[in-house]
Amino acid sequence: MSSHREAPEISKDPVADSTDVYAFVSPKKPDMVTLIANYVPLQQPNGGPNFYEFGDDVLYEIHIANSGKGKADISYQFRFFTQIRNPKTFLYNIGPISNINDPNWNRPQFYSVTRVKNGKKKMLAEKLPCPPVNVGPRSTPDYAKLSAQAVHRLGKRKVFAGQRADAFHVDLGSVFDLGGLRPFNEAHLIPLAKMDGINSVQSYNVHSIAIEVPIKEVTRNGKLPSSASAASAVIGVWTTAKRQKSRMFNDATAKYESKGPWEQVSRLGNPLVNEVLIPMADKDKWNHTAPRFDKRFARYVNKPELAVLLPVLYPKVFPNLAKYGKNRADLNAILMTGIPSGVVPGFQNYTGPVESDMVRLNVAIKPTAKPNDLGLVAGDAAGFPNGRRVNDDVVTIELRAIAGLTIPLVDPSFKPDAAASAVTDGTKAKRNARGTNKFPYLNLPGGGYQTKPGTTKAS
Amino acid sequence: MGRPRVKAVELVTDTSRRKLLAAAGAGAAAGAVALAPGAAYAAEARRSGNSAQESVVAHIKDHRSGTISLMIGEREVVVQDRDLVTRILNAAGGK
Repeated sequence: MSSHREAPEISKDPVADSTDVYAFVSPKKPDMVTLIANYVPLQQPNGGPNFYEFGDDVLYEIHIANSGKGKADISYQFRFFTQIRNPKTFLYNIGPISNINDPNWNRPQFYSVTRVKNGKKKMLAEKLPCPPVNVGPRSTPDYAKLSAQAVHRLGKRKVFAGQRADAFHVDLGSVFDLGGLRPFNEAHLIPLAKMDGINSVQSYNVHSIAIEVPIKEVTRNGKLPSSASAASAVIGVWTTAKRQKSRMFNDATAKYESKGPWEQVSRLGNPLVNEVLIPMADKDKWNHTAPRFDKRFARYVNKPELAVLLPVLYPKVFPNLAKYGKNRADLNAILMTGIPSGVVPGFQNYTGPVESDMVRLNVAIKPTAKPNDLGLVAGDAAGFPNGRRVNDDVVTIELRAIAGLTIPLVDPSFKPDAAASAVTDGTKAKRNARGTNKFPYLNLPGGGYQTKPGTTKAS
Repeated sequence: MGRPRVKAVELVTDTSRRKLLAAAGAGAAAGAVALAPGAAYAAEARRSGNSAQESVVAHIKDHRSGTISLMIGEREVVVQDRDLVTRILNAAGGK
């Protein structure tokens, strides 16, 4: 979850498995936008000697739709290649890695960045070094320095690709144990003792691709919008990973070879859509489908299974939700089209009638000085579902939305159940790898040596 | 990616079938299996200037269709050639 191992096929292919997408106006630079796509989920930091890395045979992309058609008007492509400096050792590093070009690092990874607009490709940079993973105090004694060296400036843009702490938080252990929410354990159909939520992602790392670009570079008219009501102020963002159509094991080299055109095997826009809303039998198809064809999946948003399950799993807690039989126009707006003007005073992130799962960001809305992790539903229009910031508590926001809290936005006759504004998985902010206020905004990854299963701190 | 979609395909007619026999590596793929009766075509085939210069993966998605996909580089070449497909299917059967 948010999209960690969310579909049968991609759960077997971690390097191509997108986990989270973030899109927000850069906190200290309101003329810049930051886009982040995370991959390679649930990395235990001590997973050597073959530590985690991006796939050399995967095409990673971050897409922006700005014309209201749900299609990629602009894409940033990232391709990686890995080098083995010393083929005679089994070690990831043969001494301390003091900088990202240190020859002691035996398996450096590099990448290229290409911008695609209107089908035309322009390579922005190549051979950019990633940082190593955080091995431990002997191997990567100054990880903050390595991380800083891996932030590359490409003109006005910044880019980073490498390991970070996963900022997402969720109680996977309880949620997937028949929809359990530990703070509400006593009210569950199969009751257990009430307790705080446990962040299942705590201490795990991911691999992040982060790019910060001028807002003017991604808007439809090439301008920095001044009015939040303008259609040109809204962009849709999602990520995809593609593999070549054919993959064959070469028995001569003992390696896989790929041939053929690129096929999408993973995609991610809004958190939890494929994870929670799309049925298991359709999840792989969803991952292979472009957002502009999401109309075929709209019924799963309009009649979400979880909204039916909540009143069953928590008897007498959601009586009003149980009786609500209409399509969930609120969820459709939040996840599939954006929220039109007139629903939330002074706010819109509508991208038109094409139903497509994208993180929609109104770039004319300035960053909030003191962000509220509950975002728009808590009155903070700079947060989810207006884009997504690193610290936004998307699990709580979406749980409450599915529980009916947002129905009155489109159907004032509905009165949400009292529990709808309280429901949460109970994961606590203090146990999460909070984001930082500096690019790439995700915190340093946990170190391998420092790992103590179940108790490791994020950094 | 998704439906509807436009594949980047190159259709090849039967007239160039002999070239394809070489490009697809059909004879080599069969190993010691003889490709009778079409083996004569393979023996006569000449590589064109546009022939593949790297390994190729051939995929017959539907054995009833007469269509074969050739994966090369970042491209997919879709060939409609029932005879070629039949010969490869026969070779794959080991008979």
